[in-house]
Amino acid sequence: MAETSSAQQMLDQEMIARIGRRDQSAFSALYDRLSDPLYSLAMKMLGDPAEAQDALQDVFLQIWSRAGTYDPEQSSVFSWTVLLTRSRVIDRLRARGRRSRVVVASTEDSSTTVAGDASTVESAADTAEKNDEAARVRYVLNNLPSEQREAIELAFFEHLSHHEIAARLGQPLGTVKARIRRGLLKLRERLNNL
Amino acid sequence: MISEEQQDQAALYALGLLGADEDSAFESELRANAELRDLVRELREAAGDLALAAPSLQAPASLKQRIMGQITVETERVVPMPTQRASFGWIPWAIAAALAVFCGLLALDRVRLERQLADIRAADPLMQTTFFALAPSAPAPADAKATVAWQPGRQSGVIRISNLPAPQSGKDYQLWAVDAEHKDPISAGIIRVDKNGVAQVRFKPVEKAEHVKAFAISLEREGGVPKKEGPILLVGTT
Repeated sequence: MAETSSAQQMLDQEMIARIGRRDQSAFSALYDRLSDPLYSLAMKMLGDPAEAQDALQDVFLQIWSRAGTYDPEQSSVFSWTVLLTRSRVIDRLRARGRRSRVVVASTEDSSTTVAGDASTVESAADTAEKNDEAARVRYVLNNLPSEQREAIELAFFEHLSHHEIAARLGQPLGTVKARIRRGLLKLRERLNNL
Repeated sequence: MISEEQQDQAALYALGLLGADEDSAFESELRANAELRDLVRELREAAGDLALAAPSLQAPASLKQRIMGQITVETERVVPMPTQRASFGWIPWAIAAALAVFCGLLALDRVRLERQLADIRAADPLMQTTFFALAPSAPAPADAKATVAWQPGRQSGVIRISNLPAPQSGKDYQLWAVDAEHKDPISAGIIRVDKNGVAQVRFKPVEKAEHVKAFAISLEREGGVPKKEGPILLVGTT
């Protein structure tokens, strides 16, 4: 697993179980572990620090209130919280009709996509250097066939539907679906083997 | 056997791209197909990993305070009891008596459940995990941090450190358990961070530590020392 080792998954699941029992210290520890990647995702999709913070606040309050509904059979804690974050961000994008303002920058050049004040940019560069796991995911993603990578990025970060992606790329719907499926499976396989 | 069309649907489902009707139809398929469920889980993990491709940023420190403040308020919020209205006649007294009996039965049941829960906790060391958040003290960098998950029943734990640069040559970081029943901190081993200042390791103190109050990391001579000598870099209680 790319993001989480089995020891980390055990730790995450234990933290979620404790959060379900209203343990604030476990919540604080889980926040420390997940807030940076989830904030980065929210920023990538929303492109606005204030909105990204509001989205993250919604996500963590949801984790606090819904930890008991987490099902380890369905996903790791990390993936669960990523999907919660994406869902809250998409709600915001829909509510504000701001899809056209989504940051569309490529993941190849992370420095071009960072919005915010100077200190945030500085710490972003610092964190990017330190984040080995993120570097591995970027490496694998950037080495997927370009048409698969493009389809996945449009689907995941811009939340375009497969119909919208097909229209934007001028490709048949079936081709787009196959690109998304092949790209995701290849991403997973390569991260597992890296 | 999963068809290509099912695989396509699974990928779209994992990314949340199916419409409500398609979602519901696919979930019916999922319930009946274990192989398809496994595939969806794999695809969900891939989708989770994708989040790490976003340019890395640090969430502002003030956000944590805001969120912790909000959950504290929610935890402490007390639902006011409705004011009881005075009434006359035998019916309210009968109801009160019945309620008293019912409450007594509930209390007995609660005691029984608490005993069962205590037994389960005693039998399962995983339910006895305590978390320690370690904060930096000079000369550690201000953004260095660590979390310890400690399982007293197993006398072992996992520590995750971030933003702590590797020590200079001839030095090592050493983890210590501060136990109420030991005069000196108990060594829990040498911790080596990677080039990114990150470490995640399992540890076991060299002596039994049944009343751990805190964990600390100090900078020591290479290979570690039996008794703490160097400066504390990170320390934290529950």
